[in-house]
Amino acid sequence: MTELKVVGKPLPRIEGPEKVTGQTVYAADMQLPGMLHAKVLRCPYPHALIKRIDTSKAKAYPGVVAVVTAEDLPPADRDPSVRPHAVLVEGEAIFEGQAVAAVAAETAYIAEEALDLIEVEYEELPAVLDPEEAIKPGSPFTRRPLEEIDLSEIEGHVTVDISAADDAEAHRRSPNISNRLHFVRGNVEKGFEEADIIVEGRFDSKMAHQAYLEPQACVAHYDATGKLTIWTPTQGQFHQRNDIARILGLPHEKINLVGTEVGGGFGAKVAPLIQPLTALLSMKSGRPVKLVLTRREDLMNSVPAPRGIVQAKIGATKDGRLTAFKGRVIFDSGAFPAGTPVGATMMMAACYKFDHLDVEGIEVLTNKCGAGAYRAPGMPEVTFAIEQLVDEVCRQGGFDPIELRKKNVCREGDLMPNGRPWPKIGLYECLEALEQSELWQTRHQAKNGGKPRGIGVAIGAWPGGMQPASAMVKMNENGTIKVVVGSNDISGVNTSFNMIAAEELGVPMHMVTTITADTDTAPYAGLAAGSKTLYSGGKAVQAAAQDARRQIIAIASRELDANPEDLVIEDGVVFVPGTDKSISFQRIAGLTMGFGSRYAPVVGRGGEVIRNQAPGTTAQAVEVEVDPETGNVTVTRVAAAQDVGKAINRLSIIGQLEGGVTQCLGMGLTEEMIFDERGRMRNPVFLDYRLLTALDVPRIEAIIVEVPSPEGPFGARIAGEPSIIAASAAIANALRDATGLRFYEAPMTPERVLRRLREAGKAVRQPVALGEAAL
Amino acid sequence: MLQERVGQATVTVHVTVNGVPRPVTTVPNRTALELLREDLALTGAKEGCGTGDCGACTIVVDGRPVNGCLLLAPMLDGKTVLTVEGVARGGKLHPVQQAMVEMGGLQCGFCTPGFVVTAVNYLEQHPNPTEDEIRVAIAGNLCRCTGYSKIVDALLEAAKRMREGEGR
Amino acid sequence: MSSRAATPTPTALRWRPRSIEAFYRPLRRQLDHDSERCVQSQRGRPRPFLPRAVTRGGQIGVGESMRRFGYLAPKSVSEAVSVLAEHANVAKLVAGGTDLVVQMKDGVRRPQVVIDITGIDELRTLEERDDGLHLGALVRMGEIENHPLIIEKYPVLVDSAKLVGSKQVRNLATIAGNTCNASPGADTPPALIALDAQVHTLGPTGPRVVPIDQFFVGPGRTVLEPGELVTKFVVRKAAPNEGAYYERHTPRKELDIAVVGVGAWVRLNGETIEDARIGIAAVYPTPLRATDAEAALRGKPFGQAALDAAAAAAVAQSRPISDVRGSAEFRRWLVDVLTRRAVTNAVARARGGGPRAGETH
Repeated sequence: MTELKVVGKPLPRIEGPEKVTGQTVYAADMQLPGMLHAKVLRCPYPHALIKRIDTSKAKAYPGVVAVVTAEDLPPADRDPSVRPHAVLVEGEAIFEGQAVAAVAAETAYIAEEALDLIEVEYEELPAVLDPEEAIKPGSPFTRRPLEEIDLSEIEGHVTVDISAADDAEAHRRSPNISNRLHFVRGNVEKGFEEADIIVEGRFDSKMAHQAYLEPQACVAHYDATGKLTIWTPTQGQFHQRNDIARILGLPHEKINLVGTEVGGGFGAKVAPLIQPLTALLSMKSGRPVKLVLTRREDLMNSVPAPRGIVQAKIGATKDGRLTAFKGRVIFDSGAFPAGTPVGATMMMAACYKFDHLDVEGIEVLTNKCGAGAYRAPGMPEVTFAIEQLVDEVCRQGGFDPIELRKKNVCREGDLMPNGRPWPKIGLYECLEALEQSELWQTRHQAKNGGKPRGIGVAIGAWPGGMQPASAMVKMNENGTIKVVVGSNDISGVNTSFNMIAAEELGVPMHMVTTITADTDTAPYAGLAAGSKTLYSGGKAVQAAAQDARRQIIAIASRELDANPEDLVIEDGVVFVPGTDKSISFQRIAGLTMGFGSRYAPVVGRGGEVIRNQAPGTTAQAVEVEVDPETGNVTVTRVAAAQDVGKAINRLSIIGQLEGGVTQCLGMGLTEEMIFDERGRMRNPVFLDYRLLTALDVPRIEAIIVEVPSPEGPFGARIAGEPSIIAASAAIANALRDATGLRFYEAPMTPERVLRRLREAGKAVRQPVALGEAAL
Repeated sequence: MLQERVGQATVTVHVTVNGVPRPVTTVPNRTALELLREDLALTGAKEGCGTGDCGACTIVVDGRPVNGCLLLAPMLDGKTVLTVEGVARGGKLHPVQQAMVEMGGLQCGFCTPGFVVTAVNYLEQHPNPTEDEIRVAIAGNLCRCTGYSKIVDALLEAAKRMREGEGR
Repeated sequence: MSSRAATPTPTALRWRPRSIEAFYRPLRRQLDHDSERCVQSQRGRPRPFLPRAVTRGGQIGVGESMRRFGYLAPKSVSEAVSVLAEHANVAKLVAGGTDLVVQMKDGVRRPQVVIDITGIDELRTLEERDDGLHLGALVRMGEIENHPLIIEKYPVLVDSAKLVGSKQVRNLATIAGNTCNASPGADTPPALIALDAQVHTLGPTGPRVVPIDQFFVGPGRTVLEPGELVTKFVVRKAAPNEGAYYERHTPRKELDIAVVGVGAWVRLNGETIEDARIGIAAVYPTPLRATDAEAALRGKPFGQAALDAAAAAAVAQSRPISDVRGSAEFRRWLVDVLTRRAVTNAVARARGGGPRAGETH
C-alpha cells in the first residue's frame, strides 16, 4: 500500500466542538412534548419476599400518570437468570435496591412523593453474602436455582473457545454457582516437582464500579401506532433492541433504539438495565417517559465488576523458567451471572508458556448488586494474583522482572490454556518497549531519600471479541461522503471510521462525516464491547469505502474514457496521472443525482465477518511512594506499553491507554464497593466511592507498540481493554519493592497498607525527621 | 408527607445567564442546576452525582465556579451565571475549548462542560499556570475517561494561546 | 436459549391476557384484582429457608429531588432571628447549602421552611480588629484560603478551609455552615478549637458568646437554641511566639472527607511549650478538644517525650467508631501520627518557619 495520508495520525474527535460547547444531547438532556418523569421504588433488603404491594394511594396522587409493579409486565419469554430481564421484582427480591415499583408523573418531584405512598410488605430472608461460604454445602440459596445461563452478552466482549474446558456438572453442585470453567494442561503436580521456586497466595480484588460520569438514563415513547422508540446511551443498540423485544414481548420492527451519546460505558451500558422499565411506564401511560438514575441508584443498582478471589501457586526453575501454575478464581457476581469466568479463567495464566497448568474459574451468586462487564472483565482481578506471583518468583530467584517475563511470555504459536495456538501477538514487543521507557531506564535514580519508593511491573493480554458488522458509505449531493454505521461510539471510534473512509477514498478528513444511525436505519453492527468495534466495524467501513470507490472509479472511467486501473484519487478528485483528465467528486455527485442523470448514486456497502481474534497485550510499570506513617500510597510515575497492531488514530489510542491505566490505578488504590454484614452497600456516593482526581494520577508514559494483525483494518487489533488489566498488580509489585511486603487485597487503601506495615513492624510514627526538618 | 407550606411557595429568580437577564419563576425546592437545565433548557451543565462530588455541574456564579447541584435555585437571585453555553462567543470556540478538542482533552464528553467552565474561570485569573497549579485547579472535576493528562496538556496550551491574545 | 420458558415465573402462571394488544390497554382494575391473588399464591410457594423477619419496608433513600419547602430570605440579622424563631421547629438555615442540600436530597432533613441568610451583608465581616480576627458567619472557605491576612497570620484556618470538598464546594461552603452542621468530621472546627475561637450568636433572648469547644453537643447538634443563629467567630490576635497547624488524612488529595484530622496550636517560651490546644476531627461524636493531650504538652520542652505523651493522651481521649472511611483502630493510629505532625508543625510555625499556609499534603 502506498503511504498513508490520514490513518496513523493523531486527529481530534469529529464531535469535539459539540462536546466542549455543551451542545451534545445526552439522554438526560432530552425533553419531549408531554414527557413524564419516572422514579423507582427499590427494595431496602438484600433478600426478601414481597408479601404485598399496594399502589392505590400512589395512583390516586395528583400528577401521577402511571404506577407499575411486576404485575404490569406483559406476558413474554423473560429469562429470570439474567439481569436485563429482571425488570421489576417478581415475588423475590435478590439484592438491595432492586426495582419493586415505578411511578411516572408530571414532574420528578411528584413521582418521588408518590413513591412514599406505595405500601410494600416485605419478608426479609437470609442474605448470602460471602462467595466462599456460598458454594459450601448447606449454604442458603441466593435465589431459586437457575436452570441455564444466558451468556450472549459476555460473548460480545470476548470470544473464547471453551470446548476444552471441563465444565463437569458445573452449576449442579451448588445452586449458587452460576458458571464454572476448568482448564488443564500437562500434569501440574509434576510441574511443581520440577520447580526450584514455588510461591503461592490468596489474592482478593474487591467489587469495583465502572463509575461512568453519566448515570444510566433512558427516554421511551410508546406511540399510538404501537411503536416503541427508546433513546438511551448504549454500547450496543441492536443487542439492546433484541433484548427489549424479548423482555416486553414486542416484535423487533416495532422498536427503534436510538443510541444517544454515551457518557462513559466501560461495559456497563451494553445490556438493557432501566430501558424495559422506562418503556413499560410509557406503555402504561401512553406518553413519553424519562428515567434517569441518581448516582446513588446507579452505584447500587447497575452492573459493576465482580469481586475476584484468587488462590494460586506458581513454580519456576532456578534458571528462571516458569514450570507450573495452579489457580482458582472465585468471582462474586452478586445476584446475577455475568459470565466473567469465560474470559478471565482462560486468560489468568495465558501470557506464559507453562508446560503444566490447572486453572479454574467459578462464578458465585450472592445477594448483592449483580455484576456485569467492566473493561476486560475479570482481568484486573486475576492479574492482581498471577503478576504478583511472577514478581515474587523474580524476587526470590533474583531475576529482573522484565527479563524473566521476556523469557517466559507466549508468542505466536504458543498454546493458550484452551489448547489453541496464540495468533500473532506483541506481548514480547511490549516488554521490549517498556524496557526502553524513561521510567525503566531511570528506575535506579528514582530513590530520593525521602519516603520509601518502589517500582513494579505487570503484564496482561485480552483476546477481545468478534462479531459481524456492516457499514454504508454514500456520496452526498456535493460530493462529500457520509459513513453510516450501526455501532455506538464509546471511544472515538467514529473518528477512526472517518479516517479509514477518507484514506480508502482518497479524500481529506473534512469531506467525510461518520454517524451512528438508529436501529431503524443503520446497517447492523455488533456491540461496542470486547474492544472490537474498530477491529470488526473498521473492516466493514473499509469494505464499504472500497465499494464506493469502485463505483466512483467506474463512473470516472467512463466519463474520462480511461482505464479504471489508470485512475488515481487525491483530495476528492479522480484523475489520470500525467494528463489533464480529471473529474471531481462534486461533478460525479451531479452525474448521479440530478434529473435524468446517467449513473446510479454512489452507495458503498460493506459487511465483514472477521474469524480470527487479534488479541491486545500490555506491559506496564508503576512507581509508588509510601507514607509509612499513614499507609498512603502515591503513584509517582507510570509507563504503559500496549500493542494495538496499528494506531488508526494515535490521539484516540493514547486516550484509551491513559484512561484504562487510570481506572486500574483506581482499582488498585481507592475504588471499592463496600457492603455491610447485611449486604447493604455502604458507600453509594462519589464522596466514598473514590475515583481518582487530577492530583492522584501522574502523567502516564504511554507507549504505542504496533505488531500488525493479519486481518484488522490497516493491521489494527483490539485496543480499548488491555490497558486496564495490569496497573493494580504493578502497584502491588511496586509496594513489594518499596516495603518488602506483599499486598494481597485490592484496593490497597491506606488502612490496608498500614495494617500490613504494622503487622511487619514497618509502620512508623516517630516523625523525628519531620520534627527536625521543621525546626 | 404533604407538608403545610410556610414561606414562599414559588419564587421569582432574577438571574443573568451568559450575559442575558433571565427572570424565572420556579419552586424553591430546586437546585440552580435544575433551574438551568429544566426551566431555562440550558442542558450543558450535567448532573453526575448530585452531591457536589464530581464537578460535572460546575457553573460560574459571580465569578466563582460552584457546584450547580448544591446551590438552591432561589439563591441565584441577583447573580450572574456563566455556563458552558456562554463560553464560545460569536461562533468561535474559546481557546480552552479549542485546545480541549485538539489535544484529546475530552472523550465521552459528559464531564467536559464542567472542566471547560472551571478552566476558563481559572485561566482568566491565572494566565501563566504551572502543570501542578492546573491540576489543583481542576481537582474538583472528575473525569473517568482520560486519566487527566490530556486535559492538563490542553489547558497548558490554552493558557499559552490566551496569553498570546487568542482570547476574546 | 429459550428453554427457560419451562421455568414458569409467577407472572406467567398467574396472568395471560388474550393478546399482546389487550395488554396495552389500561387494565388497572384487573391488575389490582390479580395482585391480591398474587400475594396468596406466593404464600403457598415452598421456600428453602425460614423467614427471619417480616418487615414493612419503606423505600431506601434514592436521593434526588428535594421535597417541597417554603423559602424565606431575610435581609437583616434581626429579621432572620424573628423568622427563625417563628418557624423554629420546621425551619433550616441555609448559608452555602453544601451540607443541607445534600441532606434534603437524601431525605435526612425535610424542613418545611428554608431560610436563606446569604442576603444579610452584616454576616460577611472579615477583618482583624483589636480583639482579633472577626470571621462573619457567611465567610466562605474559598475566601479564607485566599485571604492574604489569614494566610499570613492565621495559616491554620487556611490549612483546614483548603481541604473542604473541592474548589467548587469551597466557593459555596461557609465557616458557619461547616460549624453548625456539627459533623464530627468537619475540617474547620479542629482549627477553630486550636485557635480558641469564640462563637457569637444572636437569638430571641439576645446575643451570647460560646467558646467553640462548648458549641457542639452531638452529631448534627449544637448548643444553638430554637431561633438562634451564629453571627460570627472571633479568634484572638495571633502573637509571634504562637503557631498552629491542621492536617487530616484522606485517601485522595481532593474531594474527600477526613478519616481523622488534627489541629494544634502552641505558644512557646523558648524551648518550652507554654500553652497548647488541640482539636480533632472524626474520632468523637463531636469535634473533640483533646484536653489531656494539651495538658501533656503544657510546660514541657518540645521534643520526643512531649510528643509521645501528647499523642498517647490524644488517642486515649478519642472514641472513634468504625465506618466506611476507616476502622476505629486505624483512626486511633492516625490520631497518634497526626497529633505528632500537627504539634511539630505548629511549633515550627511558632518559631517562624514550618509549612506554608495550606501546605498540608
